[in-house]
Amino acid sequence: MQFSNFQEFIEMGGYAFNVWSVYGMFLIFLTVNLYGPLRKNRLIIRDLKRRYALNAQAPATSSDFDSQSSPGSETIEEERA
Amino acid sequence: MDWTWFHKWGSPKWFYELSGKWLPWLVGAMVTCLLIGVIWALLFVPQDYQQGLTNRIFYVHVPVASISLAFFPLMAIAGTIFLVWRMKLADVVVKVAAPLGAWFTALALASGSIWGVDTWGTWWVWDGRLTSLLLQFFLLLGVVSLRTALEDSEGAARACALLSIVGGINVVVIKYSVDWWNTLHQPSSNFTLATDQANGPEIWVPLIFMIVAVYLFFAISLILSTRNEILQREKRAQWVIDLVAKS
Repeated sequence: MQFSNFQEFIEMGGYAFNVWSVYGMFLIFLTVNLYGPLRKNRLIIRDLKRRYALNAQAPATSSDFDSQSSPGSETIEEERA
Repeated sequence: MDWTWFHKWGSPKWFYELSGKWLPWLVGAMVTCLLIGVIWALLFVPQDYQQGLTNRIFYVHVPVASISLAFFPLMAIAGTIFLVWRMKLADVVVKVAAPLGAWFTALALASGSIWGVDTWGTWWVWDGRLTSLLLQFFLLLGVVSLRTALEDSEGAARACALLSIVGGINVVVIKYSVDWWNTLHQPSSNFTLATDQANGPEIWVPLIFMIVAVYLFFAISLILSTRNEILQREKRAQWVIDLVAKS
C-alpha cells in the first residue's frame, strides 16, 4: 500500500487532477461502450416487436417492410456468405 | 480442406447463438481482471522516482493505446474477407468496430495528453507517434461518416472495407513512429523479471491484468454491437422473429 490514509490517496501526491481525470474518463469510456449497446439491444427488440405486430395485423397496408408478405408467413433461410 | 467452419462463422444466426453463450464468461473474466488491475495500479504500485504518482495513468493509457492499434488491422482483415468472399458478418464487424475504435483512440490521446502535461510539460506536440495516432482517429471518424453518407449499403460496405485497408497501413507508421522519429514519446519499454530493476514485476504484473481486462472489454463491446447489427439486418429471418417473440 502506497498510502497511509484516504486523504493521501485522493491527493495522489499532487497529481490528483491528472490521475483522477484519466480514471474518470476511463470509467465513462467503459460505461458508454457497454451500456450503449445493451440499451440499443432493448430498443431494437421493442421496435421489432412493434413492427411484427403491425405487420401481422395489416400485412397489405404496412409499409414497415418492403417484403411482399408478412414476416410470419415466410421463412427466409439464413443466408451464408 | 474442410471449410465448414468458415461458412459457419459467416452465418449471423450461428454467431448470435454462440456469442450469447460466451458473453457471461467474458464479462465475468473482464470484471475480475479490471478490479484486480485498477486496485493494484491505484493503491499498490510504487511511485516512479521521476513521475511520482502520475505513473498510475500508465495503467489506463498503455492498454487503451495499444489495443486502439488493433482496430485497423481487424477492420482491414474483415474488409478483405468481405470484398473477396462477400461474407456479410465481416461487413458487420467493419461497421461496428469503427466507432468503438474512435473511442479507444480518443481516450488514448486524451490520457496521454493529461499524462504529458506534467511529465513532458506540454499537452500536445506534433511528434510522430501523436500525429499518426491523431490521423488514425480521423480515419476512423472517416469510416463512420462514410457509412452514414453513402445510402447504398453495398457501396458503403465496399468503400469502408477499402478505407479500412488504407488505415491498416497507418498502423505500421504508428507502431514504428517512436523508432523512426526521436522526439518526445518514448520508445517501447523493456520489462524484466528481475525485481531489482526499474521495470520489474511489481510494475508490469498489474499492467498485464489491465491489458487483459481492456482486451476483454474490446471483445465484449464489439460482440454486443455486432449482435445488435445482426438483429437489424436479419429482421426478416425466421430465427429473429422467433427470438423477438420469446423475449
